[in-house]
Amino acid sequence: MLHRSRMEGEMDAELRFHIETYADDLVRRGVSREEAMRRARIEFGGIERVKEEGREARGISYIGELLQDLRYAARILRKSPGFTAVTVLTLALGIGANTAIFTMMNGLMLRTLPVRDPGRLVEILHHGPDEPEPGFNGFSWDAYRIIRDGNHVFSDLIVGPGVNFAPVRADKLQPETLFVGAVGGTFFQELGVRPAAGRLIGPEDDHVGYHAPVAVISWSFWKSRFNLDPGIIGRQIVVGDDAPLTIVGVAQRGFYGLNNQAPQDVWWPQTLGPSAGWGLGLLARLKQGVSIEEARTEISVLSHRVVNAPDAGPYVRTMQLRVEPAGNGVSTPLTQMLSTPLTVLMATVGLLLLLTCANLAGLLLARGASRHHEMAVRVCLGAARARLLRQALTESLLLSTAGTALGIFVAYFAAHALIRVFTSGRFIRGAPLHFEALTKPDAHVLLFAGAIALLTGLLCGAVPAMRASNMAPGYALQPGSRIGETKRQRLLGKGLVASQVARSLVLVSSAGLFVGYLSHLRNANLGFQRNHLLLVTLDSAHSGYNAAQLSQLSQELVTQLDTIPGVSSATFSGMSPMEGPGAASFASGEDHPEKQSQASINYIAPDYFETYGTPFLAGRDFSARDQSGSPVAIINEAAARDCFGNENPIGRHITLSHITLAKGERTYEVVGLVGDAKYNDLQQPAPPTIYADLLQQDFIGSQHSQLAIRTRIDPDGVASAVRQIEADVLKDVPIVRIMTMNEQIDSSIVPQRLIAMLSAGFGALGALLAAIGLYGLLAYTVARRTHEIGVRMALGAAGTDVMRIVLRGALWMVCSGLAIGAPLAFWGKRIAASLIPDLPVASSLPIVVAVALMIAVGLIAAYLPARRAMRVDPMVALRYE
Amino acid sequence: MDKQLELLQGTLDMLILKAVSLGPLHGYGILLRIQQISKDRLEIQQGSLYPALYRLEHQGWIASEWGESENKRKAKYYTLTAAGKRRLQAETDNWNSMADVIAGILGAKPEEV
Repeated sequence: MLHRSRMEGEMDAELRFHIETYADDLVRRGVSREEAMRRARIEFGGIERVKEEGREARGISYIGELLQDLRYAARILRKSPGFTAVTVLTLALGIGANTAIFTMMNGLMLRTLPVRDPGRLVEILHHGPDEPEPGFNGFSWDAYRIIRDGNHVFSDLIVGPGVNFAPVRADKLQPETLFVGAVGGTFFQELGVRPAAGRLIGPEDDHVGYHAPVAVISWSFWKSRFNLDPGIIGRQIVVGDDAPLTIVGVAQRGFYGLNNQAPQDVWWPQTLGPSAGWGLGLLARLKQGVSIEEARTEISVLSHRVVNAPDAGPYVRTMQLRVEPAGNGVSTPLTQMLSTPLTVLMATVGLLLLLTCANLAGLLLARGASRHHEMAVRVCLGAARARLLRQALTESLLLSTAGTALGIFVAYFAAHALIRVFTSGRFIRGAPLHFEALTKPDAHVLLFAGAIALLTGLLCGAVPAMRASNMAPGYALQPGSRIGETKRQRLLGKGLVASQVARSLVLVSSAGLFVGYLSHLRNANLGFQRNHLLLVTLDSAHSGYNAAQLSQLSQELVTQLDTIPGVSSATFSGMSPMEGPGAASFASGEDHPEKQSQASINYIAPDYFETYGTPFLAGRDFSARDQSGSPVAIINEAAARDCFGNENPIGRHITLSHITLAKGERTYEVVGLVGDAKYNDLQQPAPPTIYADLLQQDFIGSQHSQLAIRTRIDPDGVASAVRQIEADVLKDVPIVRIMTMNEQIDSSIVPQRLIAMLSAGFGALGALLAAIGLYGLLAYTVARRTHEIGVRMALGAAGTDVMRIVLRGALWMVCSGLAIGAPLAFWGKRIAASLIPDLPVASSLPIVVAVALMIAVGLIAAYLPARRAMRVDPMVALRYE
Repeated sequence: MDKQLELLQGTLDMLILKAVSLGPLHGYGILLRIQQISKDRLEIQQGSLYPALYRLEHQGWIASEWGESENKRKAKYYTLTAAGKRRLQAETDNWNSMADVIAGILGAKPEEV
C-alpha cells in the first residue's frame, strides 16, 4: 500500500516537472509565465489520463485491484439487500452446520495429546465377539508380562491408566467426582511429562501386591481447588473407598491424561502383580521405523499365548488383541459412540452445503443475466476478460465470507445445543465428562472455516463468473436479445428446481417421521403416570447409618414429605422406571419350578404403586405388618402369566434364583398383582417384574435409593421443600440429583431426540433451499419475459391472468418435483423402518403433510415474482427492450 | 520545416531506447532529444511518452533514478540497461530488414511480378 502511494507521488512529481520545464522553455522564448503554464498543460494532455495509462503500463498491484473489486462488489450487493440477506443467511446455515460438526470431530478425534511424540503412541485393546468396537484396554499381569517380554516392536510398554471416575475427598474440600487413574512407574517418564511441583510417580513406586499410598494431581486441579498452594505436597487425599493417599507432586501444566473428554486429575501407582485382575491398561511406543502394521502382526502372534494361558477362562479364549494409535487420545466408549455418527453427520452436512452452493450458483446466474448489458459495456470499454472474471468471483467470495462469519456464530450455538441434549443422556449423567473440547474452536477449525469460505465462494461464483465474462458484447448489446438461452438451458433450470423440490420432500417427510416417532415415544402408555412426578436420588453409601436406622429414617422421611402442601403421596424404591438397567433374576412359580423365566426385580416401599400410578389388579400393597413376616412380593401381569398361567397368583409362592448382587434362592408369597409398567426402556414392552418389599429385605443402603413424590402441582415447586426435609431427616445422606419423571424419560431417549432435532433442521433447510431456488428461477424468468408480458397486457390480458401464468409455471415445477420425490420418500421410509424397530410407518401422514407443505412453500416463493409480473406496465415494458 | 511525419505505431519504444542510449535523460529531455535528432521532423505526443516510459521500465529495458536537473529541480532520469541495449539492437535489426522487404515490394515493377 505504501509502495503504491509512493509511486503515485513520484508519478505526480515527474509529470509536474515535465510541465514546468516545458513552461520554462516557453518563457525563455518570450511567453508570459501564466500563458506558458497554460499551454504546457494543454499540450501535455489530460494529466489524469496519462496517470491512468501510466498505472496500467506499470501493472497496478494486485492488492489495489482487489480492493477496487471489493468496493465494487460491496456496492452491487448493497443495491439488492434482499438477495444479499437471503444468500448470506443460507450460506451461514450451511457453513455453520459444517463448522459445528467439524468442531466436534476435531475435539473428539483430531486433537493430538500434549505428550512427547504422540505419533508413535499406541494402545493395546482386547475385543470379544459381541463387544462394542474397538475393545477394552485392561490386561492381566500374565498378559502384561507376555507382551512385555515377547515383543520386538515396542520401545516401551507403559502401564497406563484406565479411564475411571470416582469421588475424591480431601480436607476442607467439597467431595466431587473426578476422573482418576492408576499408572505404572514409567508412565510419566515415557510421555515426557514433567512435574510442576514435587515429583511424579516413577519406577520406585512400582510394587507387586500393593501400591505406595502416594498420589500426583493435575495442574488444573491444583489451581482450581488449592489455589496453587505450595504446601500441596504432603496433603492427604481420599479417592473412592481406598486408604488416604499423600500428594507427592503435581503434573505439568496442560497435562490431563490421555483422553480429551475425560481429563484426569489424580494419579496413583498401579498395584502390579496377579491381584490386579484384568485391570492393567497398556500403552506402547513403536520403535523407530516400525509401522503399526508390523506391531499388529506381532501382537496377534503374542495374543495366542495370552488367550491360551493355563488359567484363561472361557471369555478370555474368545479375545482378540488389537493395536490402535493413541496419539489423539485413547478410545473410550464415548469416542466409539460418537465417532461413527459424527462422520455420517459430516458427510450429510457436507452434501447439504454442496447443494446450497449449486442452489446459490443458480441464483447468481439468474442475477448475472440481468447484468449482461453492464458487462457488455465494460468489455467494450476495454476491460479484460480476466478482470471481469475476477470481479464476479470477488462478489461471490464476499458473500461466502460474510456467510462464514455468521456461520461461525451459528456453529457455536448449534454445537452447544447438540452437546446439551447429548449430555442429558442417562449413561453420560454422573460422569464428570468435559465437552468443552468438543465445542471449543481452535486453529484447525478456523482453518477449516476459511477453506470452506473460499471453496463455497468459488463454487457458487465460478459458473456465473464465466458466463459473465464470456459473452460476445455485440450480442449482449443488441436490443431485446435473448441472452444466450437455449431451450436446453431453460429445461436445465426447471429440472434443477424440480430436483430440489424432490430432495426437500424427502427431507421434510423424514423429519415428520422422526418427530412423529419422538412424540409417539413421549406419549406412549407407560403403565404409570409420568406427569407430576418428582424423583430424588439419594446416596446413603457413606452416611454411617446401618440398614435398620436407614429403614426407619426413610419411613419418617416419607411421612414428613406427605405433609408438604401439594404432595399427594411419596414412596421410595431401589430403582425408578427409565433410570437404567436394574437387578434381574430367574423366577419360577411353585407349580412349575423347572420353568424359569427372566424377570426384573425392584425393591419398593409401601405406596409405590399409588405414587407411580400403576393400578392394582388384585391383592394388596405391602404394609408395616410385612416387615416381621415371611417374605412377600407383588408381581405384574407379565410375570403372573409366565409363572402361573391364567390362574390367580395371589397366595401362591414364587422362587427367585440367581439374583444379581445376591446368591442363592428366595421364595416369596405373592400378595398383590399390578398392571404392566415399562421398566428399563421405552421401546421394549414391559418385562415381567417382581416387586419385593424393601423394608423387609433391608436392602436400603446397599444401593442408591430413589424417592418418588407425586404432586398435585408443578413438581419443581416442591423441590426446595423436599431438599429441606431430606436434609433434616437424613443428615449425611446427600441428594445426588432431583429431576422430574418426564426429564428422566427424556434422558433415556436422547438418540431419538437428537435424530428428531437434526432431521427437523435438515428438513427446514431443505425446504428453504427449494424455496430460494424456485424464487430465483421465477424472478429471472419474469425479468426476461417482461417484454412478452407487456405485449400480452397490451393485447388485453388482465393482471390476474399474468399472475396465473406465473403461478402455473411454479406449480408445474413443484409437482414434477413432488412426483419424483414421493416414491423416494416412501422408499426411504421403508429403509428407516427396517433400521429402527417400532417406527410408526403405517401412516403416510408425514409424507402427505410434507407434500402439502412443499406446495405451500412453492406458492409463497412464487408470490413475489407473480406480483411483479402483474404490475408490469405495458407502456414501459414495450419500450424496454 | 518539412511536414512532420506521423509516428508509426510501435516505433516510439525504439526511439526512446535510442534516445536514452546516448546518455541518461529525464522524460522531457527524451522528448527534446528525439525532436533534435530527427531534426524536428518527428513530433511525439507528450501524453503518450510517459506510459511508454513506464512500460519500458516495467519490462526492464530502462532503469530510473531521481536526480537534480539543470534548472535545479528534482527530476527522474532514465538510463538504458544491458538488456535494453540488446533489445535496441534487436529492434534496429528488425526495422532494417523490414524496411528492405517493404522497399522491395514497393519498388516492384509490373513486369517483375
